[in-house]
Amino acid sequence: MATELYWMDIFENFDFLLKGLGITMKLSLISIIGSLFFGIFLGIIRYSKFFLISWLAVAYIEIVRSVPLILFIVFIHFGLMPYIFGGAVSFFASSCVAFIIFTSAYIAEIIRSGLNSVENTHIDAAKSLGFSASQRLTFIILPLAVSRMAPALVSQFISLIKDTSLASTIGLIELTRSGEIIYERTHHVFEILLFIAFVYFLICFGLSKLCRIYEMKPYMQVEAEKALVIN
Amino acid sequence: MYNFDTAVIIESIPNLIDGVKMTLFISVISSICAFIIGLIIVFSRTMGLKYLKFFAVCYVEIIRNTPLLVQLYIMYKALPSLGIMLSPISCGILSLSLYAGAFISEVLRSGIHSVANEQFESSTSLGLSKFQAFTLIIFPQAIRIVIPPLSSQFINIIKNSSLVSFIAVTDLFYRIYKGAVDDFRFVEFFLAGAFIYMMLTGVIALFSNILENVFRLRGRTAKI
Repeated sequence: MATELYWMDIFENFDFLLKGLGITMKLSLISIIGSLFFGIFLGIIRYSKFFLISWLAVAYIEIVRSVPLILFIVFIHFGLMPYIFGGAVSFFASSCVAFIIFTSAYIAEIIRSGLNSVENTHIDAAKSLGFSASQRLTFIILPLAVSRMAPALVSQFISLIKDTSLASTIGLIELTRSGEIIYERTHHVFEILLFIAFVYFLICFGLSKLCRIYEMKPYMQVEAEKALVIN
Repeated sequence: MYNFDTAVIIESIPNLIDGVKMTLFISVISSICAFIIGLIIVFSRTMGLKYLKFFAVCYVEIIRNTPLLVQLYIMYKALPSLGIMLSPISCGILSLSLYAGAFISEVLRSGIHSVANEQFESSTSLGLSKFQAFTLIIFPQAIRIVIPPLSSQFINIIKNSSLVSFIAVTDLFYRIYKGAVDDFRFVEFFLAGAFIYMMLTGVIALFSNILENVFRLRGRTAKI
């Protein structure tokens, strides 16, 4: 095995790779924000007690969760978007829509389990203090739930950042695709792919470690311990 | 209004069935391999030597934090430049099982942590070796708890197996995409594909529910 590795490609095309990385970051940031909003909305609908509405949310979540992401990306770009807008849409917009649709179902499920983890005693106490239903949700249930579901949310975001590599398959020039373009010209496949994997690793691993440091303590547990000491 | 044409789908049913066979072949074999890899990793992580544990942690973190598509490309496009040439199907199976193995090892590890530590201490005090304690005492209790997350990992394997179509394996997604491009009937093929994938994953979800009920212990819960 006398193949020599040629690492200069990475430095020669550094600007191009950096541009791809920028698009990856922009794509994942917009998708994270959009799916967070849409997911919270869905999760609250799922949590609501109206049968029909919560059933709709369940149907959406279950359908989206059992279909591969690549099917969404390809068919939203080539099927749905031209049908709605009457023409080709930019790769970026359609992959954003696909990621938001896909990830919001997962986030809704996380939100629901977080909301369900809030003990009934809190809700009863808020009721007895005269909070209305929307006030209970915004001031009591959501702050508690968010602190508990932060780790799960971050791992979902990490998997979203990894999944943005799938946008390369419809032609969006993000990190993976820009690497592909380089090695299709220079044929130094191994070096470029290893570098791309390393960049993804740095982003995702760094994010998970950052979350570990700043992991929000479920602060009500501390309160519960205090209550135990007092009793 | 979109004129919905079911004839295209009915025509391509034999084609899609071939794709389902390929998808099932790849995902079943990589599920088995991934489970074995996960077992090895989790054993070396919880019971193994120090450097073995370090290796296992490195493996899990590297695999979990890089995209599956890039791993597939490395297997398929980059290894030949180092002199290793694998067929597309074996590339797909290898990288899918390596990828899912890391996730399954995490799931199994959480199950093992939920088994009380006294179980391990008492089994070693009875003279069982580490391997015996793992296989006879800890693991049977852990696997019962992790049936739901484990089944969701197997569902993920089926969903992720759609990516092997980008390394020239003619699986279900490849057939759907090809059919949609050929006839320019995206909506029909998308609905058909979504339906087939939902069937495949639904079977596993159903199976996991049944298994969960069979193996549930009455009146005993996991230590939290």
